Amino acid sequence: MNAPNKEVLLSLYRQMLVIRRCEEQLARSYQAGLIPGACHTYVGEEAIATGVCAHLRHEDAVFSTHRGHGHALAKGVPPRQVVAELYGKVTGCSQGRGGSMHLFSPEVGMMGTSGIVGPCILQAAGAGYSFKLLKTDNIGVAFFGDGAVNNGAFHEGLNLATIFNLPVLFVCENNQYATEVPFTYSSKNSEVANRAASYNLPGVAVDGNEVLAVYRVAGEAIERARKGGGPTLIECRTYRTRAHAEGMREAGYRSIEEIESWKARDPIPAFRKQLLARGYRAGELDRIDEEVKAQIQEAVEFAEQSPWPDPSTLMDHIYSHSGA
Amino acid sequence: MAVEIVLPRLGWTMEEGTLVEWLKQDGDPVKPGEIIFTVESDKALNEIESFDEGVLRIPADSPPPGTTVPVGTLLAYILAPGEAMPTGRTTTAVATTAAAPTAAAAVAVSSRRSGPPISPRARRLAKQLGVDWSQLKGSGLSGRIAERDIQAAARAPRVSPVARRLAQEAGVDLSTLAAQKPGARLSRQDVEAALAAPPAAGESAPLSSLRRIIAQRMGQSSRETASVTLFTEADATELVALRQRFKEALGPRQQWVPTYNDLFLKLTALSLAEHPALNASWGEGAIQMHRQIDLGVAVDTEAGLVVPVLRQVDRLSLQDLAEQSAALAENARTRRLKPDQLQGATFTVTNLGMYNIDAFTPIIDLPQCAILGLGRIALRPAVHQGQVVPRHQVVLSLSFDHRVVDGGPAARFLDTVRQYTEQPHLWLGR
Amino acid sequence: MRELTFTAAAREALAEEMAQNPAIFVVGQGIGKRGGNFNTTTGLYDLYGQERLADVPISERGFVGMCAGAAMTGTRPVVDFMFLDFILDGFGELVNQVAKMQYMSSGRLKMPLLLRGCIGVGGSSATHHSGNYYPIFAHLPGFRVALPTNPYDAKGLLKTALRTDDPVLFLEHKSLLNTKGPVPEEEYTIPFGQAAVVRQGTAVTVVAFALMVRKTLEACEQLEKEGISVELIDPRTVAPLDVDTILESVRKTGRLLVVDETFGPCGMGSEVAAQIMEKGFDELDAPVRRVYGAHTPIPYSAPLEQAAVPQVPQIAQAIRDLVAE
Repeated sequence: MNAPNKEVLLSLYRQMLVIRRCEEQLARSYQAGLIPGACHTYVGEEAIATGVCAHLRHEDAVFSTHRGHGHALAKGVPPRQVVAELYGKVTGCSQGRGGSMHLFSPEVGMMGTSGIVGPCILQAAGAGYSFKLLKTDNIGVAFFGDGAVNNGAFHEGLNLATIFNLPVLFVCENNQYATEVPFTYSSKNSEVANRAASYNLPGVAVDGNEVLAVYRVAGEAIERARKGGGPTLIECRTYRTRAHAEGMREAGYRSIEEIESWKARDPIPAFRKQLLARGYRAGELDRIDEEVKAQIQEAVEFAEQSPWPDPSTLMDHIYSHSGA
Repeated sequence: MAVEIVLPRLGWTMEEGTLVEWLKQDGDPVKPGEIIFTVESDKALNEIESFDEGVLRIPADSPPPGTTVPVGTLLAYILAPGEAMPTGRTTTAVATTAAAPTAAAAVAVSSRRSGPPISPRARRLAKQLGVDWSQLKGSGLSGRIAERDIQAAARAPRVSPVARRLAQEAGVDLSTLAAQKPGARLSRQDVEAALAAPPAAGESAPLSSLRRIIAQRMGQSSRETASVTLFTEADATELVALRQRFKEALGPRQQWVPTYNDLFLKLTALSLAEHPALNASWGEGAIQMHRQIDLGVAVDTEAGLVVPVLRQVDRLSLQDLAEQSAALAENARTRRLKPDQLQGATFTVTNLGMYNIDAFTPIIDLPQCAILGLGRIALRPAVHQGQVVPRHQVVLSLSFDHRVVDGGPAARFLDTVRQYTEQPHLWLGR
Repeated sequence: MRELTFTAAAREALAEEMAQNPAIFVVGQGIGKRGGNFNTTTGLYDLYGQERLADVPISERGFVGMCAGAAMTGTRPVVDFMFLDFILDGFGELVNQVAKMQYMSSGRLKMPLLLRGCIGVGGSSATHHSGNYYPIFAHLPGFRVALPTNPYDAKGLLKTALRTDDPVLFLEHKSLLNTKGPVPEEEYTIPFGQAAVVRQGTAVTVVAFALMVRKTLEACEQLEKEGISVELIDPRTVAPLDVDTILESVRKTGRLLVVDETFGPCGMGSEVAAQIMEKGFDELDAPVRRVYGAHTPIPYSAPLEQAAVPQVPQIAQAIRDLVAE
């Protein structure tokens, strides 16, 4: 696999910033009371969604979990559609029907974030089955947290993917806490990548805050899948520096020191440093900052001005022929 | 506030009666004076008024229409709006189901329905066909009135509940009767008329209730009284002339013209005033002397003999007497008399003159002690001022009960009647 | 006309559709080379191979979820549960994912997923192999539920199921599998939501489901001799449910009995009764009555098993009672 070129590097940088700025904005909006329901932000984990989705086409199918804004944005859902969705407006990517945990944009291969832990693993395997049957080289990708790996869906999904040699990428974002429960409490095996061996499929652990590392590992696994080499489990070790969900406490179950130590490993400043070291000019990077800022600003305005869904459409789309 | 509505005592001797039909339904508002139900007793159908204002509530264990119950039986309540039906008073009717301890609560819940249960389909059909289902019974096991019951009722003759019961008792075939009067609603009169109609030769007719009553009373009177009948002939020429003058004077003015019967009633009442012994009743161990002179007037109706009562005839003007007696006779013929109009006579007058009867032996109407029979007023040869001339003559027949009064007083009374007949001026001013 | 068994008719539908649509594949236990425990896929493995007739390990949640993902991405999976009871291990995937996917995606994702299995009480299969459960699926928005009762309906409904983009539960009563009936050679489909008037009559309407249709027909023969004319309706699908046909029949007869093997509470009888009460209150000459299975897990021993579900004499008596009411 080739090393990423300038275009790729800058787009990785931009993509992480889009996610970061969007999540910060959503956190602000949430606190302002503009977002009802739940909002699980992705701050600190941007490198994973960015590094993986950089390799994906629209035809590849991504299945995500409750902490899915980053995946939606990285897969190509415009920020205005994400913000509008969380605001409950009809212009949101799910037309106001889903909110944070049911973001859908099949047009770009975003096959849903989910309020249930586990199904994304199974559905990604299913996408792999379809692509194999239809003889395309598209792949399925599942993003899930450490909280999913003790779930039956993890076991059954990986097993099905491996016996059928399906083109699937299983990406575990191990941020070490499932809500407030440490991973080490829920599992005697404190690692995730080594579980792959039980299914006789490759498992790779990577620093989830290192975007180029994620990019490289994901790229290899995806290429293997497209060539018929079967599934891969990638464990990205990372951390969310904000609370499990907006409005919940940040510490108590973890120490301030721990949080601060991971803030120091923020993937975005780290990557910026790397880019500067590679000779990219700060001005260019700043311009990207500004553009992203403006883009998010526009997204918020768009969401605020958008209309609400019409209650008369309530019963639409339950079945494939509405009203049937 | 709960006012109890019970089967009323409508006559001195009434001990039981039949609830015929509710004219107000469960839940209807009621004002004083409104008729809420009808009761049958003895020979008459009675409309019962409400004395109170409120909401009529009929408990589920109230005797169903058509049942005979003792006087005083609880039938319903009149309540203030929103007031709950009292518990604890069970009905004592003959044909009610036993009330379970929780019946009162159940009644409060289920009493929204007035009348028997009916399926929606049947209710709709009944409305379409104009069938009154309130007295129907469901033919199915559930007792609910169903479509087939409405269809049957629509084919069946329309009969009032009273008539139906009467016909059932008397064995009258309603469908034959209905065929005679297609489309009409058969009433009690229709059934009674059918019963009164003489049976065809070789057939027997069942007894109507009226016939039964007449038979019982006439038989009892014949058996118990020591009846003697006195006859006397009176010259009614003056009376005839008087009546003619009334006719000429009052007729054109559309006023009531006294009939011969009215004139005889008045002069008989005044005669009784002078001979109180004849205005008495035989009682258990005592003779009751009556303060009022209330005359029973025999009326021949389609269904049988009925004797309504005129009160205090001695005090009535001829005008009032004429009006009242006409009304009574009409009500008697249409069976609309109230029981108190059939009771309490102290003396009876019966007239067979229109049938060309001269004299007869009327049967005393117990507990009265005498009865006056009037024959026809006919022109006959009579000795008048030494000449044999045609004069209007009438025979007066007085039957009296020798247990109560002797021949002498009776004869003297009859003589007074004769005198008053022959000389109206003696009493016209009174 | 030729006669096929229920199983053969359904299989013919699957074979014809698989031939026309290369995106259809089947997963289940024993549905590959073995041809299915109930012969649902006999001969198909030889035609299409392992990718389209894929035996899967016993992991219902797993393969239901997997097939949901496949259905969302361009293929048309058939999940053959063998005994429908096993579907319950995948209930979460069915309710939260499969049933809701079209709605959540505002119709941009379809869910052409067929879930089939044997239902019903009989043969002492006992409580883990005798489930029905279809009122539960009928209750949830998003599912179609088909309940064929004869070979003709089995083929027609399965074809429709394999052409619709909605998730379909195709439920086959195990006591019907070997029953025979006429099946035309020509292609036909039966739309969902169209009841069949199996028998015309005048005195009472009976709505029956699955095996109860046959049992009620038996009762009708006896009742005809007693002068009771029964109109029997087989809804064929419980979601969507053809209430109009039932209502039209009740307009004629005024009386309705619902016969179903599943439980009373919140069951098919409750639903039909409520709908007819709402839409046809004034047509009713008597309350809507129901005959349903006992509210109990299904026991093993024959006398207990028989007592747990409606039998012909019980159905006949219920009809008599309703007519006499």
